[in-house]
Amino acid sequence: MVFASVVLEIGLAVLAMLVTATLVIVGPRQLVRAVRDFRWRLEGIALPTTVLLCVLFLRWATQDVAQTISTQVTGVAITDYLFGIDRALFGETPVVFLQSIQMDELTSYFVFVYIYGYAFLLAFPFVAYFALREMDDLSTLILAYTANYGIGLLCYFVFIAYGPRNVDPTLFDGLLYTAFPESGFLTHSINHNTNVFPSLHTSMAMTVFFLAVHTREKYPLWVPLSGVLAGSVALSTMYLGIHWFSDVIAGTFLALVSVYIGRNYTVEGLVRTARVFFSTKFKDAQTRFEGDRE
Amino acid sequence: MEELAPPTRRQLLAGIATATTGSVAGCMERFWSGSDENTPEQVSLVIKTVPTDDDYIAASILSQLRENLADAGIQVTTEPVAEREFYREILIQRDYDIFVGRHPGLFEPDALRDLLHSAFRTEEGWQNPFNFSNMAIDELLEKQHTSEGETREETLEELFESLEQIGPHSVVAFPNHLGGARNEVRTSWTPNRAEGYIDLLSTEPADGSRTNPLRVGLFGEGLSDRFNPIAADVGSERPLLELLYDPLARRIDGEYVPWLADDISWDDSGVEIEATVRLREGLTWHDGESLDASDVEFTIRFFEDTSLGEIESGVPTSQYRGCQSVVDSVSTVGARTVEFSFETPSEAVASRPLTVPILPEHVWESRSEPVGEYQTEARTTDNEPPIGSGLFRFGEHEANELLEFELFDDHVLLDPAVSDRPSILNGFPQYDGIEFHIVGPYPGVLIDMMADDDIDIIGADLPPEHAGSIVEESDVSMVNSSTDSAYIVGYNFQHPQLGDPRFRSLVSRLIDRDHVVEEVFDGYAEKPETYAELAGVRSPDDSSRSADGTASVLRFPGSDGEINQDLVRTLFEDEGYRYDDDTLLE
Repeated sequence: MVFASVVLEIGLAVLAMLVTATLVIVGPRQLVRAVRDFRWRLEGIALPTTVLLCVLFLRWATQDVAQTISTQVTGVAITDYLFGIDRALFGETPVVFLQSIQMDELTSYFVFVYIYGYAFLLAFPFVAYFALREMDDLSTLILAYTANYGIGLLCYFVFIAYGPRNVDPTLFDGLLYTAFPESGFLTHSINHNTNVFPSLHTSMAMTVFFLAVHTREKYPLWVPLSGVLAGSVALSTMYLGIHWFSDVIAGTFLALVSVYIGRNYTVEGLVRTARVFFSTKFKDAQTRFEGDRE
Repeated sequence: MEELAPPTRRQLLAGIATATTGSVAGCMERFWSGSDENTPEQVSLVIKTVPTDDDYIAASILSQLRENLADAGIQVTTEPVAEREFYREILIQRDYDIFVGRHPGLFEPDALRDLLHSAFRTEEGWQNPFNFSNMAIDELLEKQHTSEGETREETLEELFESLEQIGPHSVVAFPNHLGGARNEVRTSWTPNRAEGYIDLLSTEPADGSRTNPLRVGLFGEGLSDRFNPIAADVGSERPLLELLYDPLARRIDGEYVPWLADDISWDDSGVEIEATVRLREGLTWHDGESLDASDVEFTIRFFEDTSLGEIESGVPTSQYRGCQSVVDSVSTVGARTVEFSFETPSEAVASRPLTVPILPEHVWESRSEPVGEYQTEARTTDNEPPIGSGLFRFGEHEANELLEFELFDDHVLLDPAVSDRPSILNGFPQYDGIEFHIVGPYPGVLIDMMADDDIDIIGADLPPEHAGSIVEESDVSMVNSSTDSAYIVGYNFQHPQLGDPRFRSLVSRLIDRDHVVEEVFDGYAEKPETYAELAGVRSPDDSSRSADGTASVLRFPGSDGEINQDLVRTLFEDEGYRYDDDTLLE
């Protein structure tokens, strides 16, 4: 089937990129050491990983229901605002500007970045941070991803918005699907065309870059590489006619929030706080109950 | 302490009255002085259509209209709405100012009556979705409905010309159906109606008849999860449903060909025409129950009131309502015979109800259950699986992926020896049913699938730029055929300015129809040329007066799709509208 072959092709290409990057940036020795004592590392990230999986599962299980409720009941249509803001800020939308410098080479580059580059950008930190001596950075990464995705989904539930290519085929080109139609299978199975605000592509990519800056002493090479890639991903979403400038700004903001959450909270911490909170409540209630009995 | 006596009721009322008068007096003063100033605001319009993924053409027409309205000084809000939601908001809730959409087609001018008559204003679906009400138009619609011959022709011509001035809708263009087919299927068109599929399955492929189904590629968002032939929000799926549900007669090349009926005899001796319809022998539903005259009578009654009397004012069907409304009375006179009397003396008009899908009474009767104050289960159900009596029956179904229509082996018309077998069925079937492959909203994927021999034809409407790319592939061809349907702009009469015919007519002029046909359709469409066509009725060249040069709607105040701002401004000012800087005032 077309879908399977598309996934396989992308999977192989991303794997090749991962292997190369790992050899250059992490180094074989550090990787071998990490793989050898993988057990405690996995234990270290068990909790945040569970939370991430829960969010993914929740999304998978409620996808259809949430979509229906959103389009028919709760959703607020904001496409016209996004279009309006883009135009008000720049006179013409940045998407139109980017598409006006359209070239085949540029299109190929941005399609590559949007699909392959993005997948690589998201996957590489898992390998890199797994190979470190402590699992703190990996836990931060997973929690930041989770926050990103969770908040993003919440926005998609609240806001119904179409991207430029869907609003006006005369002004904007749906370049991704003209240049690489099969990618439709992929994006369609992951996402819905009313989910554009904010740009999760941008927020995830920026999250990776912000964390790369944070870990610059451990992987100095990763900072410029992830910076260029993340910037290109953000540009590609507009160049390909998928997102508005406002989506990209909101995506970057979401990345900042997610990184803040990832760095300042841990799942263990949150669980502890919750436990303390509920146990005090419980104790209060118990005292009151015992007081009543007297 | 002296206690205060509670006020009596009279005292209380008097007190309230005094207080109210006093406060209102203050208000009134302010109100009057305010109304003297009367600061007008900018004219604003909400325009709705579907996103590019659902209809490239509609989104492009809206683009031109939006830019031109904005240049004319009007504040425009545009919001794309997914196809199903679009039908809900336009055809059910009527929540819009202007919409750009595709009307399935008015193959008989009498269909203008359901589209425009004020009596249909409160109904769902394509029954007057404009809140339009005009006594003169109502009279013309009724007169053409109850007359025939020359009187009807003249009435229609008068109606078309009046509509150009005061109608609530305007045709932008009649699209061609663009699709693609593998060469061995041997077709120069792809189906956009049920009859097209039947015709195609009667055509022998170049490599001989097949033991596999015909593989049809469709694209679209949310296609194929509702199978209710009478719901308002079912649009592009309708041709597929009409394959599952047979009518009494099918319209083929402009002729009504008896289908479930084997004999239709007309009696025009009275003022109004009557018909006796005899059903074929041995008809059955897909679930094995037998189909008889009472199902036909039930269907017509059910379309008139899907609550079957439960809801006092009646809840008519959202589709086929105009066709049904031509029937004056229907009665079963034998197991296979039904008698119809109609409101009209014209056989052409009276033939409309023969094309409605016949529904099984044993399935739909219980759906008359009210599910709201003015709603029945019949209009809301997904109707899965659909039980019809067509040549195809509902097979396997995976939402948004695959839909299988199997041949219905018990259908009487499968037997080549059956008497009066419609000639369209000569050679039927050359395939073992039909398989619809549905991909997301990506036409490019379908073209690749067709080139890889994963599908035989593309059934959905391809955007012209994609259709053009088919020539790059081998063994496949782009095909192109004309349709009944029309892209229209509709106006909501509840909007303060859109109620004004002069304003509406100016808005209609802001679409450059020549430019749309050339640039958006890439030439694969026809511009309305006559008054009949401006109203949505395709007419042979000589039957309606040419509107070219006389109809103001066809005179675009600009060039290449862009308006001449000064000219448009003058046009609005000539009609009594004012400008403040660059904004058009209410």
